[in-house]
Amino acid sequence: MQEHSLAPAIDIAALNKWYGTFHVLKNVDLVVGTGSRIVICGPSGSGKSSLIRCVNGLEKYESGTIRLADTPLEMDAAKSSAARRQTGMVFQSFNLFPHLTVLANCTLSLRRVQKKSRGAASEIAMHFLEKVKIPEQANKYPAELSGGQQQRVAIARALCLNPRIMLFDEPTSALDPEMVKEVLDVMTSLARDGMTMVCVTHEMHFAREVADRIVFMDQGSIVEQSDPASFFAAPTHARTRAFLSNLLH
Amino acid sequence: MGFEIGFAIATIPTILSVVGTTLIITALSCAGAAGLGFAFEMIRRSGWTADYVMRFVIDFIRATPVLGWLYFMYFVLPFYGVRLPTTAVGILGLSVYYSGYLAEVFRAGIDAVAKGQQEAARALGLGRVDAVVFVIAPQMLRNIAAPMGNYFVSILKATPYLAAIAVPEMLGSAFDIASDTYRYAEPLTVAGVMFLLLALAVTGGVKQLERKLLKADRR
Repeated sequence: MQEHSLAPAIDIAALNKWYGTFHVLKNVDLVVGTGSRIVICGPSGSGKSSLIRCVNGLEKYESGTIRLADTPLEMDAAKSSAARRQTGMVFQSFNLFPHLTVLANCTLSLRRVQKKSRGAASEIAMHFLEKVKIPEQANKYPAELSGGQQQRVAIARALCLNPRIMLFDEPTSALDPEMVKEVLDVMTSLARDGMTMVCVTHEMHFAREVADRIVFMDQGSIVEQSDPASFFAAPTHARTRAFLSNLLH
Repeated sequence: MGFEIGFAIATIPTILSVVGTTLIITALSCAGAAGLGFAFEMIRRSGWTADYVMRFVIDFIRATPVLGWLYFMYFVLPFYGVRLPTTAVGILGLSVYYSGYLAEVFRAGIDAVAKGQQEAARALGLGRVDAVVFVIAPQMLRNIAAPMGNYFVSILKATPYLAAIAVPEMLGSAFDIASDTYRYAEPLTVAGVMFLLLALAVTGGVKQLERKLLKADRR
C-alpha cells in the first residue's frame, strides 16, 4: 500500500462512549488508511460493534473525535450527514426493508436522497446487484431470498450510495454455515477493488486472507493490532492468546 | 301488531336516502381520526416534553365520552364564534374522539417495526420524514391493518351518535319514521340490517387491504 498524503479514511482519537454508567469505549484510538482492510475482533461486549456504529453515526459518543477523511463527525451524528454519507453499513441482521423489492431496497435512497430519476437509480442498483451476483433476484421481496442472498443485497444497497468506506458489523453471524462463503466472497472481491473496509467479524480465515490489519478489542479498549501474520503467529497480549486459542479450537 | 314486511320494505327508500351521508361521514371521520392520530403519535415521539404532553392529550381524549365531544363542539364552540355546519361538527367530533384510540394503535404498530429498520434508513442517509413515509409507515400499516379496521367499523357504528346534534344519518331517520308512525320494529330493523351490511363491506375492504399489505411478506 503506497503512502497517501491525504488524511486517513478514518481517524479516531481518544474516543469514549458510555451506555448509562457502562463505559463501553475507553479512549479508543484507531487510524484506518484509505484502501486498507481492517478486521476488528474480540469477545462479546468488547465494544467492537459500538465502535463502528459510532463511525457510522448510529451511536452518539461522549468524548474524543472521529474524522472521516477531513470531515469531523459530530458527537450527535444527526448533524453531520455529510460525513456519514462517506460510509456504508452492513448489519448482522441484514435490515432489508421487507415491504420493498430487492431493487426498490437499493434505489430508495438513490431516489429520495440523491434525487436520481427512476431509470438512473435502477441502472446503478442493477450494476451493484450484478456485482454481488444476484441481478436475477431484483424483483423479489427479501423474504423470498436466502439469508446469504439477503446479505448480498444489503451489501449492494450500501454500495449504491458510492461510499468511500464500508463498515461490516458481523455480516455473517446470522447466516447458516453454508451461506457464509458467498457473502465473504463478495467482501473479498470488494477488498480487491480497493474499497476501504472495517469488518467486525470472527471469520478468522477471512481475516487472515483479506485483512491488512487485525484489531483485537477487549472491555472497551484496543488490546493489540497487527498484520494478520504476526497476529496469528505471535500475539503479544495474553488476552489475545486466550481469545485465539478459544476461537481456533 | 306484528312485524309487517310490507311496511319494512316501504321504509327502505327513506333510510337508504341517508346511507350516502352515513358513508361520507364514516369515510371522512376515518381519514380524520387516522390523520390526527398519526400526527399525535409523531409529535409524541419527537421528544420527551412532547411525549409527556401528547400522552396527556391522548388519555384525555380517550377518557371523555364521544357524546361529550359532539355536544361540546355543537353547543360550546359557537359561543366562541366557531360556527360549523352540523355534519362537519359530527365528522370533527368522531375524528377527535377516535384519534386518541388510533394514536395508541399506531404506537403499537410502530413499536413492532424492527429497530434495525430505522437504523438501516439512517445508515442510508434517509431524512426523518422519508424514513417514516417510505420505511416505517408502510410496515406499521401492515402490523395494524386488523385493529385499525376494527376502529373503522367502530366509527361507522358510532355515526348514530350524530343524531344527537341533528345530523341526518340512518338510525336517526329510522327513528323519525318510528316517531311518525308509532311503529318501531320495522324501521329499526331495516336500519340495523343496513348497518350490518355496511359493516360487512368495511370489514371486507379492510381484509382486502390487509391481504395486499401482507403480500410482500409471504415466504
